[in-house]
Amino acid sequence: MRALPVFCATSLALTQLAYAAGPPPPVPVEHLTVEKMPPRGPHWVYVLDEAFDNEIDARVIPFDGDSNRRLGQIDAGFNPGFNLSPDGNTTVVSTTYFARGGHGARTDVVEFTDNSNLTVKHEVILPSKRAMTGPSLFNVAYSDDAHLLYAAYITPAASFGVIDALHYRMLGEIDTAGCVMTIPGTGYRVSSICENGRLLTVTLDAQGKETGRSMSEPFFNADTDPVFVQGIAGSSAHKYIFLSFLGQVHQVDFNGAQPVFAPAWSLVSPAEQGKWRPGGTQMGAVHRGLNRLYVQMHQGGEGSHKEGGSEIWVFDLASHKRIARWPVHAHGGIAPIQALQVTQDNAPLLFAATDAADLAVLDARSGQIKHVEKHLGQTPWMLLTP
Amino acid sequence: MRSRLDQLFENTSRSLARRSSRRSVLATLGGVLTGAALLPLLPVDRAGRAQAAESKGGKAVGPESCQYWKYCAVDGFLCSCCGGTSSSCPPGTDPSPITWVGTCQNPGDGRDYMVSYNDCCGKASCGNCECNRNEREKPAYRPSRNNDLNWCMANANSSYHCSTAVILGVAEKAS
Repeated sequence: MRALPVFCATSLALTQLAYAAGPPPPVPVEHLTVEKMPPRGPHWVYVLDEAFDNEIDARVIPFDGDSNRRLGQIDAGFNPGFNLSPDGNTTVVSTTYFARGGHGARTDVVEFTDNSNLTVKHEVILPSKRAMTGPSLFNVAYSDDAHLLYAAYITPAASFGVIDALHYRMLGEIDTAGCVMTIPGTGYRVSSICENGRLLTVTLDAQGKETGRSMSEPFFNADTDPVFVQGIAGSSAHKYIFLSFLGQVHQVDFNGAQPVFAPAWSLVSPAEQGKWRPGGTQMGAVHRGLNRLYVQMHQGGEGSHKEGGSEIWVFDLASHKRIARWPVHAHGGIAPIQALQVTQDNAPLLFAATDAADLAVLDARSGQIKHVEKHLGQTPWMLLTP
Repeated sequence: MRSRLDQLFENTSRSLARRSSRRSVLATLGGVLTGAALLPLLPVDRAGRAQAAESKGGKAVGPESCQYWKYCAVDGFLCSCCGGTSSSCPPGTDPSPITWVGTCQNPGDGRDYMVSYNDCCGKASCGNCECNRNEREKPAYRPSRNNDLNWCMANANSSYHCSTAVILGVAEKAS
């Protein structure tokens, strides 16, 4: 206790000395500014937070996996669809706003945000038919040349809207005979998934008018092993991978007049069948250069197809062999994974959005967790890299 | 295992789709589902309600628990925790006239019941008692079995608030 008077006396002496040398300069005056978006980095990811607890307030959060910083926010309304333009310069959100927050007049709209400054530059009002459902690459999707934009409608009758994305105007609506979502093919082709396991492909002209349609052979059975509608961008442009609930891999090539189906293969061995499954809200990601498929997997049975993955399994797309298994949830690791995405550069990062609303940043070659960004929104359900 | 009633509903829907125009299918489906939502409580419904609680790990659970048997295929906020019940919407919200159906087994009597998962609409999401069970749930290309769709979509006020689980009837197992 005798130390206290000594300490006080010493502090007083130091303060007197400091003032003898003059007071410190004041903190400089500040001027309020608006931060500019930095140039796009190789490890950016756009995180769609569905904000399920207050679902009228979804948002897209650009995040830099190098600096581990949130870069800003794009409002996304209620139950939105979301995508990036082919050049990555525009974020497109198809969404709904209610005039008075949770109620009031409904406005369905597509909003085009300039990613260089995160401001909404254009909008196109949609009929009140937009597919209000979970996000995927196919709720709203661009044509190759970014001229046409397709917005999925479900009322629950299925169709899609065609938008001129160069002049920001509605062109029309295409009935899809009960088949859902808009999978963009080459040119102005759009495919939709049908209950009977087939794909309907509609060909449009540059004015968005239908010039033809065809139905594929079935490639899955919705009764025995349905595919997730959340397709994964595949090994090259217009190739998509559709995983089934039980882990079948259906690779579909949309580069021709008709979809072409590669022979299906399985993520799971016979011993793992029915025990390990894919699940979540965005089922996996492909690194094109490495030709690798990343899928979050969980142990579960019937009805577990929305459960997050406790492990990330990595497959070589050429050999279909599993080349790594990363048990990221075990031993106090990250929460189960709902959504995966990977950057396409030579030092790729793998992003994993979790049930705890965290965003984990992993080395996509080793599986090492480099960073965990806590609580990036409430329910981050879909990730896109430009 | 899917019940016979489950199968019957799907087969009927598909048959209708093959035979009818889209508009008439929707009118019929809408009528069926609206009617289903407005059906008076069936005797079997009361029987189901008699099983107000079930045992899980020795602990009774009721309609405010996600483990309650009627919620076997729900994905959303339980109206029971939002001012309503498992078969009624909270005050000031509107029931969805269209919906999807699941089939759940009541452990109290061993019967399979068809359950209509009508949403309650017109207010922002309740945010309480989120329940995510998806037995026999299918993707959106089979809308009659899909719970990702916002079933408030056709309401005048189409914001989603919470989910109910209304018993429509019972399907006895084949002997």
